[in-house]
Amino acid sequence: MSDASTPFLAVGAVLFILGGIGFVTRRNLILIFLSAELMLHGVSLTLVTFGRMHGNLEGQAFTIFILTVAACEAALGLSLILSLYQRTKSLDVDLWSRLREPDLPAYATPPDSELLPLEIEKPFAPSPRLTKAGGLPDIDDDFPATLASTTDPRKIYTPAPLDED
Amino acid sequence: MTDSVRQAVMFAAVAASAAGMWLATSPRAVRWRILGATLASAGLIAAVVTFEKGIGGSAQSLEDQIMFWAFAAAAIISGAFMVTSREPVYAALWFALATLGVCGLFMLQAAPFLAAATIIVYAGAIIVTFLFVIMLAQQTGRSFYDQRARTPIMAIVASWLMLGALLWNFQTWQAVERVESAGPAMKAEVLPNPLSQPDSDEAFNTLRALGRSLFGDYLYAVEICGTLLLIAAIGAIAIAPRRAEGTI
Repeated sequence: MSDASTPFLAVGAVLFILGGIGFVTRRNLILIFLSAELMLHGVSLTLVTFGRMHGNLEGQAFTIFILTVAACEAALGLSLILSLYQRTKSLDVDLWSRLREPDLPAYATPPDSELLPLEIEKPFAPSPRLTKAGGLPDIDDDFPATLASTTDPRKIYTPAPLDED
Repeated sequence: MTDSVRQAVMFAAVAASAAGMWLATSPRAVRWRILGATLASAGLIAAVVTFEKGIGGSAQSLEDQIMFWAFAAAAIISGAFMVTSREPVYAALWFALATLGVCGLFMLQAAPFLAAATIIVYAGAIIVTFLFVIMLAQQTGRSFYDQRARTPIMAIVASWLMLGALLWNFQTWQAVERVESAGPAMKAEVLPNPLSQPDSDEAFNTLRALGRSLFGDYLYAVEICGTLLLIAAIGAIAIAPRRAEGTI
């Protein structure tokens, strides 16, 4: 291994770790996404460095594919985030930790001691029921309007931000 | 510096950066968090410094070394501040700065086309889209869920264990000379795909060589990537609008 390339690999590893820690600790959906992009940067830098060390261009070609997939991922992920936001009017990922039907048992509940007390009034009560699997829903002309009325954004009262400065 | 001293310094720097990151993710006043992020990035940069075998002693020129440290410091500092920033818009801007640093490192690794493409795609398109969504979603200022990290201590322990293992591996590799008994990846007879090798009379960083690799060895992959982009565009258009406005 050449001496000149190892610092590049170290920078790639550091960027990957920073992105990973952001992915785990942040609670904002968009910042989770951005942290994944930072991890991709670290991987790209490592690939380019390895390609230079071996004297061929496969690392750069692979990085271009990473770039393409990252662009697709950003488009799809942001549209999914937008549709999640339209349901809860919030970007908090913890609101989706109980993603289940209300009459089913919870598989895992987040430890409440680590969360801020969320003053949410009946957060999951008006959430829409899914269509029963197996049959086609009755689709008539009023169907989009009724469906929209069942997905009204829930009213979530967020407490005031911490006044710490 | 001998190798053992180098390793000790590296592990000390990694531990200091872990402490800084713990301080930066804890619910404290803003000056403590900025101090913690600064300590974390300084420790990480110091850990990278231990991989440099003497300033001026290596084959690189002084200008290359200066540019490497400037870009590496920009990438690491802005990465640390992006992860710990409590404001989503600031975090997106720090991410743009980290992207610029990584593009500088791409340039130093003889990949100018990749640097330009990354700047155009990330800083030009992705960051702008992220800022759009942030400003669309958070119009009321600071939100409570950005104020506290989730399980910071466990995350820091796991991540920094992995970082220490990676950097220790790199240092071990750095000490190993290239020998005949090395693994197959280090031997010369393991050839890359034929068109990905630059010609003998051709510079390494030409766009011609990269294009020949992409459209020669990886032609089918390029076609599949184009199809993937089309599918992603259709999917984003299908998902994004509200249901009442006629999603699919």
